[in-house]
Amino acid sequence: MNSTSRPIRVLLAKLGLDTHTIGITVIAHALRDAGMEVIFTGLKQTPEMVVSTAIQEDVDVVGISSLSAAHMRHVPKVLELLHQQGAEDKLVVIGGVVPEADAQRLREMGVHEVFTMGAQTADVVNYIRQWITERDRSAARA
Amino acid sequence: MNSRIGQARTLESPDQAAPAGAVSQDDSAALREAQQNWQALRFEPAIAAGTRKPLFTTQALRWPINPLYTPLDLESVGFDYLRDVGFPGEFPYTRGTDPAGNRARLWTMAQVTGFGTGRDWSKRARFMLDQGLQGLILEHDLPTTNGYDSDNPLVAGEVGRAGLAIDTLEDLESALDVPFDRLKYLMSVCNAPQPVNLAMLIATLEKKGVDPATFTLHMVNGILIEYTCVGRYIYPPRHGLRIATDVIEYTIRNHPNWMPLSIISAQLYAARANPVQELAFGISIAFAYMDAALERGFDVDTLAPYFHFVTGVDMDFFEAVCKLRAFRKVWATLLRDRYGAKRSESLKLRIMTSPGTMSLTLQQPLNNITRLATMALSCALGGAGETMTTPLHDEAHALPADEAIRVGAAVQHIVAHETGVADTIDPLAGSYYVETLTRKIETEVLAEIARIDAMGGALGAIERGYFQRELGREQYERNRDLETGARKLVGVNHLKKPEERAELDMFRLDEASEIRQIEQLQQYRANRDQAQVAAALQAVRDAAAGTENLVPPILAAVRAHATHGEICDAMREVFGVYRPDAQLTGI
Repeated sequence: MNSTSRPIRVLLAKLGLDTHTIGITVIAHALRDAGMEVIFTGLKQTPEMVVSTAIQEDVDVVGISSLSAAHMRHVPKVLELLHQQGAEDKLVVIGGVVPEADAQRLREMGVHEVFTMGAQTADVVNYIRQWITERDRSAARA
Repeated sequence: MNSRIGQARTLESPDQAAPAGAVSQDDSAALREAQQNWQALRFEPAIAAGTRKPLFTTQALRWPINPLYTPLDLESVGFDYLRDVGFPGEFPYTRGTDPAGNRARLWTMAQVTGFGTGRDWSKRARFMLDQGLQGLILEHDLPTTNGYDSDNPLVAGEVGRAGLAIDTLEDLESALDVPFDRLKYLMSVCNAPQPVNLAMLIATLEKKGVDPATFTLHMVNGILIEYTCVGRYIYPPRHGLRIATDVIEYTIRNHPNWMPLSIISAQLYAARANPVQELAFGISIAFAYMDAALERGFDVDTLAPYFHFVTGVDMDFFEAVCKLRAFRKVWATLLRDRYGAKRSESLKLRIMTSPGTMSLTLQQPLNNITRLATMALSCALGGAGETMTTPLHDEAHALPADEAIRVGAAVQHIVAHETGVADTIDPLAGSYYVETLTRKIETEVLAEIARIDAMGGALGAIERGYFQRELGREQYERNRDLETGARKLVGVNHLKKPEERAELDMFRLDEASEIRQIEQLQQYRANRDQAQVAAALQAVRDAAAGTENLVPPILAAVRAHATHGEICDAMREVFGVYRPDAQLTGI
């Protein structure tokens, strides 16, 4: 998987019954404008469905949008399944309405970053690019 | 026309052909010259010394705004007072559908509520009625609106969070433990499973001995909006439309004083539809229901008075006012010309105005009280409709605190009683800007409806992803306006407080309520005649597979104590489940 030869691939996911899609739509457009390939899971996904799509599509990034309170039920399950299936090398970011205490716990569990209201699309784009650059740099060193 | 410049007005005979309200040609030439002089001699030097941007646009439509509007603008849009505006309570209803506007009675003041269990809801509802509200809106939680019982593993963590959990008849009975003598109006928001919700409401009122004729039940029943932007759908669009039409047909035939359909075009607005899109998409969606119901043998003059809209209002004051005025006119015009409606009751648009939560900010939440007041004012000035519902200033944070409910109710009372805006009818009529913008919105809405017609109407537009893609683009562009600073939002990209933390008193949901809800549900399922439930659910499947109206077999299933999720599952087995591919989501 040499990411310099292909655009960054991002899976954007909605889990459970949370159907708020404005944030994820804005992010999808912004990531595409920044040259990334964006795959959307569709609504009402289970953690199993998201992880299986992430692996099947060989994405670099899993972005989960959450605007209901169910993130603490779904996200740990996604992390666990990624780990179980040997796909823990992916960048996992959350966007949406996540209280700081929950964001802290999610970071401890392995989520790389949590973007809440007020985050700029450029922040998300830059964060993803930087992470991928660092990943590739350390892969080249190894 | 230039030859007339300088001629004395008295020498001209009045132009009989000129439409009422327009300026005559010699006036127009003199005015044009005076305006050009003003522009060159007064405005240009002042603007050259100014510090603001050179071009201004309306917020959502991004239409250029002139520095000044005069009678010349009315002339350029062909404004005709009698044809375009007329009188309140008369075609084309631009000045309002009620002949006396707000002078006879004020709009009904309402607020949305719904969370937790039935008991939580009724306690909250009583509190809200005590604050001077007369109408309540019952929002269901996501498991209910998506057709699942609370113990379905898919819905863990969502029970009672975004609305009220209704699994069983008992849940609704305890929610509706409210003083019906003080409740004028109840709206139930439950789109995909609306026939189940209707059946439960009927069975509950029967058990309580409440006469259904004593209050108005408004059902939202707006499944087509769910496919467009909200996403709480269950079955594919064509089946969704059939179910919604069953509710319309059953209600009109059995409870003619209830309202079986509200098109919440405010949800389109919340999904960033601009005013033209909100009206064009919303009206096209209404026409899909209209066409389906006409096929059931109703005539348009019976059907039309049952159509109701909840329209969104955003912060651009003039877009809001002009949209409301154009909405009434377009609706009346199309009902008359497209459907041949004859009765005035069929031509009158019925709306609830709804200042949008999307206009509120998480940052500096007290600022939202100012936003609510401004939006309530634009609703009152544009014609609030029968009802106005204001969101609460801390809604961006969490479910509303008691103090926010009190302030939210006070906002509407202050606008109604302290400002004088409700004391004369349609007071902004005749404003050069307001009439020009109203006319432009009307023209563009009619053009967009024609485009949607060419796609096969709303259902065709949904099935090809047109609404979804258009809204997705608006969402991105509107967000970009904020990120680039093209639009200033106080507390977000203007007058920002660094490292702000929310400090308001927040309402907290009792975590144990999900567990309690599931226990009650399982007990309910254990204590019933299982064979009777199975037979009733089979009757629902049979009706779904055929063409008979689904409401009677669903009502029988509810009376047999089938649960909400079980009835929705019975229909899933027949209709299948809607899983749109990515192009149909706008993402």
